[in-house]
Amino acid sequence: MYQRKLEECLKRVQKPARYIGNEFNSIHKEWTSDKMSVAFCFPDVYEVGMSHLGMKILYHMLNEREDTICERVFAPWDDMEQEMRKERIPLLSMESAKPVRDFDMIAFTLQYEMSYSNIVNMLDLAGVPLRAAEREREDAFVYCGGPCAYHAEPLADIVDFLVLGEGEEMNSELMDVYKVWKDSGKPREEYLMEIAKIQGVYVPSFYDVTYHEDGTIKSFSPNREGIPQKVKKRIIKDMDNTYIPEKLIVPFMETVHDRIMLELFRGCIRGCRFCQAGYIYRPVRERSVEKLLEVAQNSINATGYEEMSMASLSTSDYTKLFPLTDGLLAMTVDKKINLSLPSLRVDNFSMELMEKVQKVKKSGLTFAPEAGTQRLRDVINKNVLEEDLMRTAKIAFQGGYNRIKLYFMLGLPTETDADVLGIGELAQKVIDAFYEIPKEERKGRSISVTVSTSFFVPKPFTPFQWEPQNKIADMEAKAKMLKDSITNNKIVYNWHNSDVSFLEEVFAKGDRRLGEVLITAQKLGCKFDGWTDFFDYDKWMEAFQIHGIDPAFYAHRRMDHNEILPWDYADIGVSKEFLIEEHERAYRGETTPSCRDACMGCGAAQFGGGVCFE
Amino acid sequence: MSKRRIVFSKTGMGKYISHLDLLRCFTRTIRRSGLEVVYSQGFNPHQKMTFSLPLPIGVTGECETVDIQFQDGVTDDEIMEKLNQNLPMDIRVRSVGDPIHKAAEITAAEYRMEAIATEMVSEHKIQAFFGQGEVLATKKTKKKGETTVNILDYVRSWEITGIAEGGFCLRVIVDAGGERNLKPELLANALNDYLAPIKIEGWDICRKKIFCHLDETLQEEFR
Repeated sequence: MYQRKLEECLKRVQKPARYIGNEFNSIHKEWTSDKMSVAFCFPDVYEVGMSHLGMKILYHMLNEREDTICERVFAPWDDMEQEMRKERIPLLSMESAKPVRDFDMIAFTLQYEMSYSNIVNMLDLAGVPLRAAEREREDAFVYCGGPCAYHAEPLADIVDFLVLGEGEEMNSELMDVYKVWKDSGKPREEYLMEIAKIQGVYVPSFYDVTYHEDGTIKSFSPNREGIPQKVKKRIIKDMDNTYIPEKLIVPFMETVHDRIMLELFRGCIRGCRFCQAGYIYRPVRERSVEKLLEVAQNSINATGYEEMSMASLSTSDYTKLFPLTDGLLAMTVDKKINLSLPSLRVDNFSMELMEKVQKVKKSGLTFAPEAGTQRLRDVINKNVLEEDLMRTAKIAFQGGYNRIKLYFMLGLPTETDADVLGIGELAQKVIDAFYEIPKEERKGRSISVTVSTSFFVPKPFTPFQWEPQNKIADMEAKAKMLKDSITNNKIVYNWHNSDVSFLEEVFAKGDRRLGEVLITAQKLGCKFDGWTDFFDYDKWMEAFQIHGIDPAFYAHRRMDHNEILPWDYADIGVSKEFLIEEHERAYRGETTPSCRDACMGCGAAQFGGGVCFE
Repeated sequence: MSKRRIVFSKTGMGKYISHLDLLRCFTRTIRRSGLEVVYSQGFNPHQKMTFSLPLPIGVTGECETVDIQFQDGVTDDEIMEKLNQNLPMDIRVRSVGDPIHKAAEITAAEYRMEAIATEMVSEHKIQAFFGQGEVLATKKTKKKGETTVNILDYVRSWEITGIAEGGFCLRVIVDAGGERNLKPELLANALNDYLAPIKIEGWDICRKKIFCHLDETLQEEFR
């Protein structure tokens, strides 16, 4: 019914291909009254959402169910949103252009905090009541999953429930319960009571929070019988025997990650202390080479993609990387398919591996030492030695690379001026290493090093979760100091906006009092906060002020180890005691071995699988 | 190896697929289909593929063509079948065969232009539009930049094929090809302006045919 109006809008917007759907392998089911429907929403624009592996898995998996229709929804870009609001077109699904508010379930994936305003904006555009308490029996259930669901208290009053952990099994279980509830005539609360029994489901309205006078949490407890104090996450124990989509949707327009993404394993053995993913996805669970080769071959056949990447947190830690790359190259080279290897660690980089990946196409190399000095790298447990980086860089230069990107963070705990300046010095050493190689052995004539820094955002479920973030002015002073110290024009220095990092910290560590701030911010026009063209710091500050909330309380306050944290509702398997030990080890400058070198007893072994039992 | 000319339609939401996206779409379709094609030599090999006359965004087409070089040993029927199995639903192959004409020989194209209006538009009014001596519009080309032209100069023939309460439908043949080309959108915009205050809600435009050597004596469809 909105098709005609929508089409006219498409003639007036940029990149209409964002909204057309009908891509190869998209699933178009017949709408019948016996089917349940899920609107799977990604709170960002199409080309970002279509790059996300998790969405692909759940979309195809839910559609495997005969009784369920799952359709995709993305945030319309500003030009399209304006057209839609003008023409009174509500938010629609891609596959059948059905209003999102008519679906049974509205699921959002939470990939980063800066998409929260888009969730509110999309609900508003859909015409769905913004607060869970305002929704009635016939309204859709709004829920969220993804990494931020472990600390999504700012969304507590907006969503009906959150799902913690890996969703392959959980999402299907939600549908099973819905099927029974749908025609039962029972109130919404009954459905929520029923799913609260499923491991991984957190229903925020079933918990009460009280606060101390200083604003910290006094108590957090279930407000009814049979609801657990903490919700344990879900994981897939056996990565070979779980749903892996192969008939992936092939977009018309270019997306951010426009390729087959082969997920080698989940989790990371390393335990870098700043990295949330390194803790929440524990324990590490690998797929077998046989399974991966089978998935790769089927995906190539079903999509026709010209590129495949190995997507995991630290790809080179895959235990059978060489047999796998050999197998993958055998099926890709003849077909002119590029194989790309992201997330390389400098300590186990080798010439052989480099030659393998550049067989088809050579690209620049990226490394992330994260900190400028060994002292600080030890604090953050980034076990990369300067010698490793230099050795790797030399191998790369001899192999013909002459563009190197280095990633760092500013504002890490215990950081001093020497650590900041160390970043520039390290970049200079990489350049020196290039000129140390005899001319005839290096293929490129010149070298360029790009240094990028982002500002550290202490995240929940890391040993640094209690740490305050640097103040905006301090972060900027550090970036300026580093910039001024770099005089070699072969080094290009980029840094990210600090206002966004501040807000990211506020919402990463925020509690449910921020829900109303979010709703107000959306009314003031906040959206696409991850995009510099849209991020409006002043509007956000206005929203905080309206509700009498000081954002610095969340970002700049050192939290006590004994404090009740807003994200204590989630049990990721890794214990708080372990995180405290790691926090203390960081201050002593002690490193922690990887999961494969020694078990430190983090708690993830309770899931009974993965690296803990290798 | 042999160069085959694929005639296809691009309909429905497919009209919003840009030329570059269409190229990528065909490349991936070929890979999925398993059909063996010729790759260019060099550092970054790509499939040899040429579209004859790009379709403007927002316009559907029924006689679009792309030339693809296949390795020997495959029949035209197989090509057609495998492509149709692997193309997105809005793109359908209609025929596969030898290329007859060169793209440079294209001179004109026929469009069906359907206007959706809020009220009845009189035949007389449309006739009056085409009867004007001059309708100026700004054309943008990569070579010449912005130029103002009389778009009626580009219209070779036109006729009203339907007129009713909800709008009207035209069949127009306009200049097309590398030398002189008129986007039907310019004609639609000019009509919108001319017919005001009657509001045209929207246009459905479809390229029906592409011609070579079109003059009073000779009409030949591009194949």
